[in-house]
Amino acid sequence: MPVEHHEDPFESRLGDALRQAGGTFETDRTTLASGGAVRGRRFLFRRRAAVAGGVAGVALAGVGGALLVPWGDGGTGVSGRDTIAVGSSAASSPTPTATATGPVSGDELLRTLKRLLPEGEVSGEEARGTGSELNPYAHVVFDDGEGGGAVSVGLGRVEPGSATARDMTSCPDKRLVPHDSCTTTRLSDGSVLMLLQGYEYPDRRADTKQWTATLVTTEGHHVLVSEWNAEAEKDAPITRPEPPLSPDELKRIATDAAWRTAVDAIPDPKNTGSDAPPAADGTGVRKTLAGLLPRDMKVVTDGGQETEYAYVVVDDGKGESLVQVNVQPDIRSSDPKLDISEELFGSGAEVLPDGTKMTTKQGPGDDKAPGLVMWTVDTMRTDGMRVVVSAFNSGSQTTAPNRDTPALTMAQLKEIATSEEWEKLL
Amino acid sequence: MRYVRADGYQEFAAARAGHLYRSACLLTCGDTHLAEDLVQETLGRVYVKWGRVSRVGNPAAYAQTILTRTFLAHQRRRSSSERATDTFPDLPDQRSADADASLRLTLVEALGRLSAKDRAVVVLRYWEDRSIEETADTMNVSSAAVRTRCVRALSRLRELLGEDLGEYATR
Repeated sequence: MPVEHHEDPFESRLGDALRQAGGTFETDRTTLASGGAVRGRRFLFRRRAAVAGGVAGVALAGVGGALLVPWGDGGTGVSGRDTIAVGSSAASSPTPTATATGPVSGDELLRTLKRLLPEGEVSGEEARGTGSELNPYAHVVFDDGEGGGAVSVGLGRVEPGSATARDMTSCPDKRLVPHDSCTTTRLSDGSVLMLLQGYEYPDRRADTKQWTATLVTTEGHHVLVSEWNAEAEKDAPITRPEPPLSPDELKRIATDAAWRTAVDAIPDPKNTGSDAPPAADGTGVRKTLAGLLPRDMKVVTDGGQETEYAYVVVDDGKGESLVQVNVQPDIRSSDPKLDISEELFGSGAEVLPDGTKMTTKQGPGDDKAPGLVMWTVDTMRTDGMRVVVSAFNSGSQTTAPNRDTPALTMAQLKEIATSEEWEKLL
Repeated sequence: MRYVRADGYQEFAAARAGHLYRSACLLTCGDTHLAEDLVQETLGRVYVKWGRVSRVGNPAAYAQTILTRTFLAHQRRRSSSERATDTFPDLPDQRSADADASLRLTLVEALGRLSAKDRAVVVLRYWEDRSIEETADTMNVSSAAVRTRCVRALSRLRELLGEDLGEYATR
């Protein structure tokens, strides 16, 4: 399908007028660019915390982030996540009694948190136990009478002595994560505790304060207690000048032994690193793609990148056709802010018998090459691996078409995308 | 550490920030503070995925998509019902004598009378020059929905600005 052109004169006049008017908005680009980088680093800082502590999960479960919303779920921000929300309850009961082997439920984590809080009212309870793939947490809104503040505890494991463990308890650079105070101390049992009095927004666009206590023990328990001077992490009005718990109280909560018991109950210790899954070797991707092509296709040329991406240009006798593939390891993320799987394979995706999700598209290729057609089959395996195959009615993505349709049919593209051969690459 | 970005991000951000900001200004009807915020949020997201974004696909288009979605998500949260605004934020540098400023004011006011999604369609189609299909992809809606919004927005803008857009576009 060719790219449409604006035939209505009003449309082209509107385009001109927009460009003229838009061009008059000027700003300091350098500030915006560096502001973007600061936010990016901040996301990653939080992601690292989230990997080990589930704190971003806590944040998103409640309210969704300011300007940070997972796509396509109707805006609730919690779609598809294993979150247990329990009603507000004033009942406070004794310490959880989890054994080192049994799972600790979200309710038990909530009871522990409420036991450790000073006198006050508790509402907005949410939690996830240790039985989930995602990291456990407990979250409440705590009001000591001076105004409610969100309080959350995230739990996880971290390799003791690793760079990640050190990072978690090292005070961040003030230029990246502005804060009023940060201290790191080694406790008598060898654990390291960081107390950080910072802000929710690195650019301080709102006065939401975020104070945290981060504990990493010598056995690799990671406990992160966070509190805010608002009832939600983001997008909630300030309720009080400072969060409700003092740094000493944060410390007392973070160091409670019950959290370590809960961390011991987290079943899968292997997924605590902050490294991305390994990428598929580019040569392997190219060979696999070539091996999956129909036999009557002549490969004119091929190429690709070091990892993940490869292409071939085939000729079936009717002209060249570019076929490209991307193989990506697990594209899911426990942090909804970073998860693109819902964005790509939301409600519209077809689910194949083996659980693979698939979307297809037959559309225009590129504005610059009128008439260029791009057919795409995009798939995600149940383990999050993504294989996306596209074919063009041209030997290149950006040059004019030399045939009506790509050399491969949609059925052939589907067959290639869903082949088990890809799974051998990762 | 994974958060060390390969070279290229900074150059990309510096090169695209101005364009993204102008898009954001049109989307937000001239709310320059919100526009700055949206652009920083967008660039932050691009930063996080820079490795993948820079390798696969077109980073500039990706950034524009993120900007549009961030804007729509912001609008959705701010108001549960989609409605057009009748009031406008203070526009900096309002120089009524200046023709550019006057055009901007008129256009921005007209855009402000569209719903957020209709406005996003107009900005993507006529400022970004995206096709209907691409606009649909960016907004995560069907192309039929984009067509409907487009027709509605154009007819509203015609009504507000006049068929020949007054004297503005001809200058």
